[in-house]
Amino acid sequence: MTAIIQTEKLTKSYGAHRGVTDIDLEVNEGEAFGFLGPNGAGKTTTIRVLLDHIRPTGGRALVFGIETTVDPVAIHRRVGYLPGEFTLYDKLTGGQTIEYFANLRGGVDAAYQVDLVKRLDVDPSRKFKEYSKGNKQKIGLIVALQHRPDLLVLDEPTSGLDPLVQQTFYEVIREAKAEGRTIFLSSHILSEVEKTCDRVAIVRDGRLAKVDRVEALRDLAHHQVELRFAGDDVPVGAFAGLPGVSEVTTDGNLLRMRVSGSITPVVREAANYELLDFVSREPSLEETFLAQYGDEAGQAA
Amino acid sequence: MTSEVGRRPSPAAQSISGVPLLSRIYGFGSVFGKTMRDSRRAVLLVSVLMGLTLIGVSNAIVSQFDTAEARKELGAVVAAVPPILQGLASKPVNVETLGGYLQYKYGAFFPLIVSLWSILALSATLAAEARRGSLEFVAATAITRRRIALEKLLAHVAGLTIASLVVFLSLAVVGRTVHGLPGDEIPMQAAVGYALWLGLLSLASGALAFALAPFVGRGSAAGVAGAVMFGGFIFNGYQAAIPAIAPLANLSWFGWTSNHIPLAGVYDWATLLPVALVAIVLLVVGVEAFARRDIGATSPIPTPSLPRTLIGLRGPTGRAVGQNLPSTLAWGIGIGLFGVAIAGSGRSFVEQLSNSPDFVRLLSSVFPGFDIGSVGGFLQLLYVEFGLILAGLAAATLVGVWASDETSGRLEFLLATPLSRVRWLTSGWAAILVGVAVFTVIQALGIALGAMIAGGDIATPVIGSLVLGLYAAALAGIGVAIGGLFGTGYAAPAVAVITIVTWFVGVIGPALGLPKAFQDLALTSHYGFTMLGQWDVVGIVASVVIAGGGVAVGAWGFKRRDLRS
Repeated sequence: MTAIIQTEKLTKSYGAHRGVTDIDLEVNEGEAFGFLGPNGAGKTTTIRVLLDHIRPTGGRALVFGIETTVDPVAIHRRVGYLPGEFTLYDKLTGGQTIEYFANLRGGVDAAYQVDLVKRLDVDPSRKFKEYSKGNKQKIGLIVALQHRPDLLVLDEPTSGLDPLVQQTFYEVIREAKAEGRTIFLSSHILSEVEKTCDRVAIVRDGRLAKVDRVEALRDLAHHQVELRFAGDDVPVGAFAGLPGVSEVTTDGNLLRMRVSGSITPVVREAANYELLDFVSREPSLEETFLAQYGDEAGQAA
Repeated sequence: MTSEVGRRPSPAAQSISGVPLLSRIYGFGSVFGKTMRDSRRAVLLVSVLMGLTLIGVSNAIVSQFDTAEARKELGAVVAAVPPILQGLASKPVNVETLGGYLQYKYGAFFPLIVSLWSILALSATLAAEARRGSLEFVAATAITRRRIALEKLLAHVAGLTIASLVVFLSLAVVGRTVHGLPGDEIPMQAAVGYALWLGLLSLASGALAFALAPFVGRGSAAGVAGAVMFGGFIFNGYQAAIPAIAPLANLSWFGWTSNHIPLAGVYDWATLLPVALVAIVLLVVGVEAFARRDIGATSPIPTPSLPRTLIGLRGPTGRAVGQNLPSTLAWGIGIGLFGVAIAGSGRSFVEQLSNSPDFVRLLSSVFPGFDIGSVGGFLQLLYVEFGLILAGLAAATLVGVWASDETSGRLEFLLATPLSRVRWLTSGWAAILVGVAVFTVIQALGIALGAMIAGGDIATPVIGSLVLGLYAAALAGIGVAIGGLFGTGYAAPAVAVITIVTWFVGVIGPALGLPKAFQDLALTSHYGFTMLGQWDVVGIVASVVIAGGGVAVGAWGFKRRDLRS
């Protein structure tokens, strides 16, 4: 397999402030790679090093086999990039902005450009400063996608997009992947990563905590279930032995448990009792993955 | 009747009483305190600049004119200056005394500087915060909008008061410690009169920007207030020489207070009252407009859109030129109109000069070897000196537009395309030079038009006015070098500071007795008398080298540094 992105002990520090430390990554051709982590973990720093917008203070990064500091323009020719936070030309319309970046790149397929504008449902005749946050994000996405790059680097790409447009975005990403292009996507959103990525890396406190296939994330997925019984008799034993159930606790007539994998056995068992309430909650990404990998990252540090 | 349901005591309301008084006055304890903290550097800079300049210049005047004969000669020279050349100075009253000469030569400039600060601060205090979004957070707290506006406003008034107090104290120190000739004492009344005049004029200019900002946004408000301030200053200064503009001068606070010359011992306290009233009315309008209008909803003054071919979508140089074009045209037209007015009054200058043989003799001794009684000589004295400052500020504007690619975050996108860092920087530099060329040509057309009206030689002053472009190109080179090396966010402020420092060195360097070697650092002292056809090769070569070297240094630095996000 050809490595499209490769980092070796990549380190970036800002004086006394931490950036990222000893990041070793490999993203292969045609792969959709998720880059997860809490705010300030170092995701954007890593991405900016990959694009040579900032320079590593240690180690190195290669994109398409080219060291980022040696020939960034050769890398940029084949990359589509959406920054996490950006602004464009306030006085240009969305259409003019797209056209300008198409001119900077050259060789943009006009039909594909028009298709993207239509599918992402953006009015290109309005001035950039008049757009809502979501529409600005759409313009940024079109700029990143319109030249069908070999590598898409997307930093929080669905931020500000409404659910319908998010679905369109996922479709576009799936198409890009089907065409054999590589995707490097930073995100906070588990479902986004599940929908689009093959593998994920988790970064915390500037260090890589884990790199794994996305299925491994699914295995980690669990629910926090709360059952409130009509009477005071809480059947702890009936639930504690069910497959996937752990961390069972009681509080009066309330029974709490953690359920990994399918929730069906718990629902079936609960149907045998008179309940006042049944609550099932999916923990946040941070709760799930950082609880799992945080210690590993800490130990590695 | 409605009633609030289920209200609980607000923890925020309880804790706010625990905010220390000091941090409410200066710090994060209140909107006022934070605004004071945000403006601390500006207050310090303006106060120190004013204070040190007044003390330094006063000492220099007393030591330079240290005999009664020298003072008499000074008075005679000033009396011989025709009105057309008095324009940018105060009225010549009691110029044989320290206070009178201080007021005459420097007194009129200080309100311009402080007013400029006031305009920039009060146009931005709410509008800029609304634009960047932080005002949404502040306005979502339990503080009313009216109070937010008032606290921000009061913080600026407090800063202005500090600056005025420093001016008062500096004059008081001068009055007590600088012992020249009899009559050089500066009484407390004069110090109070000058500091109050300075503060009120500056507040009025800032108040206009403050009142307009909620309606038209920060940039337009600052632009209109700046134009009113400079217009008022110039109309007031030249009304004696050009009576046709006297009605316009009387519309400005400079005109209203033209008989208040406190350092010369002439007071017109009553004229300060309308200035104060206008300032208060404008400030109330600003507060109420902010309280009643939607946050951030402005209606910018409509300006014509650029034709599609000039927007510049084909490449980085074209785009940068397109971005610069509105500023370029605005500066070109502004300086050009100034050129028309000054060059057009050349005939009247020549006529007045013929009635002042003493002054002609004086000028001939200072500028030997050319005909000072020509339109070109007049333009050299009036247009080039002021025009170089404007050209420097225009260069700062163009450098700022170039810098906005990085400071706004656009550069993240741009440099993710096949555009190399060096190409981006050189394209921006080339676009700045195109902008400089365009505004230089426009102002030269203004000079040509004015010279045609005045009659006489046209080619020499038109070619001579190109010195503005040469100076702006050199400053652009410095800006690009600083931007490339350290971050583009520093580039435009650095160019503006260099422009103002250069002007200061030129204007007060001799009075302060600064070493000749230091005064020679000012590029503007090496161009010769270009309006008279006398060009100094040193200035031309230095400008070209700085302009070209700047881009080389900038490109070298930018290749090596991180982008600032």
